[in-house]
Amino acid sequence: MREFKVEIIRYLTDSTYVVRIKRNGFKFQTGQFVMLSPEKLAQQREYSVYSGENDPYIEVLIREVKDGDTSKRLKLLHPGDKLKLDGPFGFFNFHPDKFTGDLFLFVATGTGISPFHSFIRTFPKLNYHLIHGVRYGHEAYEHDDFAKDRITLCTSGDSSGDFEGRVTDYVTLQKLNPDTNCFLCGNSEMITEMFDILTAKGVPVSNIYSEVYF
Amino acid sequence: MKYHVITLGCQMNLSDSERVISVLDEAGYEWTDNEEEAGLIGILACSVRQKAIDKVYSRIHKWNKWKDHKNLVTFISGCILPNDHEKFLKLFDITFQMKDLPKLPEMISRYGVTTPAQLKIGIDPHNENIERFWNVKPSYQSNYEAFIPIQNGCDKFCSFCAVPYTRGREVSRPSKDILAELALLVAQGFKSITLLGQNVNSYGLDKKGEEVTFPELLRQIGEMGKRLKKEFWVYFTSPHPRDMTDEVIEVIAQYPVLAKQIHLPMQSGDDKVLIRMNRKHNMGKYRDIVHSIRRLIPEATLFTDIIVGFTGETEEQFENTRRAMEEFKFNMSYTAMYSPRPGATSHRWDDDVSQDEKKRRLHVLTEELRKYNVPYNKSLVDKTLRVLVRGADRKEGYLSSLTEGKLIVRFASNNKDLIGQFADVKVVSASDFSLEGELVKVKEAVTQ
Ligand SMILES: Cc1cc2nc3c(=O)[nH]c(=O)nc-3n(C[C@H](O)[C@H](O)[C@H](O)COP(=O)(O)OP(=O)(O)OC[C@H]3O[C@@H](n4cnc5c(N)ncnc54)[C@H](O)[C@@H]3O)c2cc1C
Ligand code: SF4
Repeated sequence: MREFKVEIIRYLTDSTYVVRIKRNGFKFQTGQFVMLSPEKLAQQREYSVYSGENDPYIEVLIREVKDGDTSKRLKLLHPGDKLKLDGPFGFFNFHPDKFTGDLFLFVATGTGISPFHSFIRTFPKLNYHLIHGVRYGHEAYEHDDFAKDRITLCTSGDSSGDFEGRVTDYVTLQKLNPDTNCFLCGNSEMITEMFDILTAKGVPVSNIYSEVYF
Repeated sequence: MKYHVITLGCQMNLSDSERVISVLDEAGYEWTDNEEEAGLIGILACSVRQKAIDKVYSRIHKWNKWKDHKNLVTFISGCILPNDHEKFLKLFDITFQMKDLPKLPEMISRYGVTTPAQLKIGIDPHNENIERFWNVKPSYQSNYEAFIPIQNGCDKFCSFCAVPYTRGREVSRPSKDILAELALLVAQGFKSITLLGQNVNSYGLDKKGEEVTFPELLRQIGEMGKRLKKEFWVYFTSPHPRDMTDEVIEVIAQYPVLAKQIHLPMQSGDDKVLIRMNRKHNMGKYRDIVHSIRRLIPEATLFTDIIVGFTGETEEQFENTRRAMEEFKFNMSYTAMYSPRPGATSHRWDDDVSQDEKKRRLHVLTEELRKYNVPYNKSLVDKTLRVLVRGADRKEGYLSSLTEGKLIVRFASNNKDLIGQFADVKVVSASDFSLEGELVKVKEAVTQ
């Protein structure tokens, strides 16, 4: 586990923040995660890389979890502080050439948007549609980084989104080309429900990729 | 000084303990079976199971009390989570990572002064210098069965498992050392040799281009088997379906020394449960591998691991696992009722399937296994099988042995000299989990 320096922290909501870390030659593939730990011997936790492969820094998007240990402690970091970072890990790595066809559907709940943010920073010309589910509209984390016509915000707790309801409700109502490569990231309830919805729409299991956060 | 070592947990820890014992013997310590008689006591711990960790705490409190009336040095190593490590530093005289095993005698001689430095070091997840540990010659606990560690650590992060946190990153042992250890074991007459690793078939992936791949390692072992003209069986455990390629299966099919027994953990037969388990393979991939095994090595036996009652597992999802058992007709399944393991991701999730329901699901799968084993085992009646004799059977006047596919065969004999030898046994009857046979002949076949 190597020590890295915090460059800056951006607070997006009361609970969600982006930690920018000095890159220090760290290599990863977009979609992978790192293990972070705020200090020696403390718990480590997994966080998807939010920044792109070619960005000169590493960013992670974190939501402070109620009663959480690591997500709370990382929020208290200041520029110049050190943290421990290990990785990269995982098999959610993405390169458009690795998939047949060029249709990509990304579905995220909450901070599950992080790897998709990294995908499109790395491959800005991608033919994708991103569906992001949150409770309230103010949790539309940095949506300006995505093309407006390629992102749909689903809000389940207010009507400020493009769609009022959960991502699963939204996708259920949509027509879908069964050749679409579908990527799901976030909480496991969404992922398992979405799995049924997509397979019922004819998407083969082999076209569904997932990253479970919780 | 006399010493005693307690080993908790899995095969990996048992294999590690062979090296610990060898280092202590070399340093002049003398083994005792009785921990009360020992001046040096160690534990190879397993943070992966709560019960095993509870055992560590109860033992160390007892031993620390003994220190009031005797000189005693205690040490701990094995699979330890960072949080437990912090606590153990205060309770044990010595804590060390396996990679530092060669330094154990030195640590014992100056125990007590190392703690502050160790506190600073913590656990090194990168397993740097683990070669030093691999180079320790183990004190094998058998003279015909041995384990060779070829890989340590895991980068897969299955949500139910703490190994990636306790054993750190995947590190492959140099293939030349593995081949040298294997050649030595074969020369000493070992007959059943298991290549061991948390993720054995991801061997080489951490050193792409610098080290051979797993199928290439197997190929080199197969070639060695041909050259040495000795009979032995080489197994490997535990592989991950993700890295189980057709090339691995083809190589096993090709070489006689590569045992025709494959352990392929399935964990669940339901795609959604596999997603929650973060297994990174689906049933389609698993099915493809089994088809390749059946096509290329039809005689191979197939073993698996299954967890029942994983967080959120519905009746329908469990039914998919039962159906998968029906489809694949495993020869053996190590089925476990799910229990959250400290440190693993799923430990943070609700353990929401009741204990009674887990027991029921376990029972259903055991019955399922029994159902398919009976006809398979019966099909072996009247066949003559090559077996490795392992010891006295529970049945008086019988010896117990294992086929190349690890099926249990017992046969009438009191001849203890046969233990550790290959023999031919004709199967005369079969039950659900074992076979009974008659000794045909004992011979040292060299048919590679
Ligand atoms: C592969 C992977 C990638 C991940 N990437 C990200 C990421 O990019 N951004 C991000 O914010 N998180 C991500 N997570 C989740 C993250 O690793 C931690 O689980 C999360 O930050 C909580 O850790 P903690 O130590 O603060 O809470 P803990 O102390 O572990 O948990 C405290 C309490 O909160 C509950 N809890 C834990 N995690 C969550 C959660 N995610 N949602 C709701 N309740 C929870 C627990 O059950 C417990 O009751 C990822 C997880 C995985 C497995
Ligand atoms: S169960 Fe998964 S995480 Fe655990 S050692 Fe095996 S592959 Fe690694």
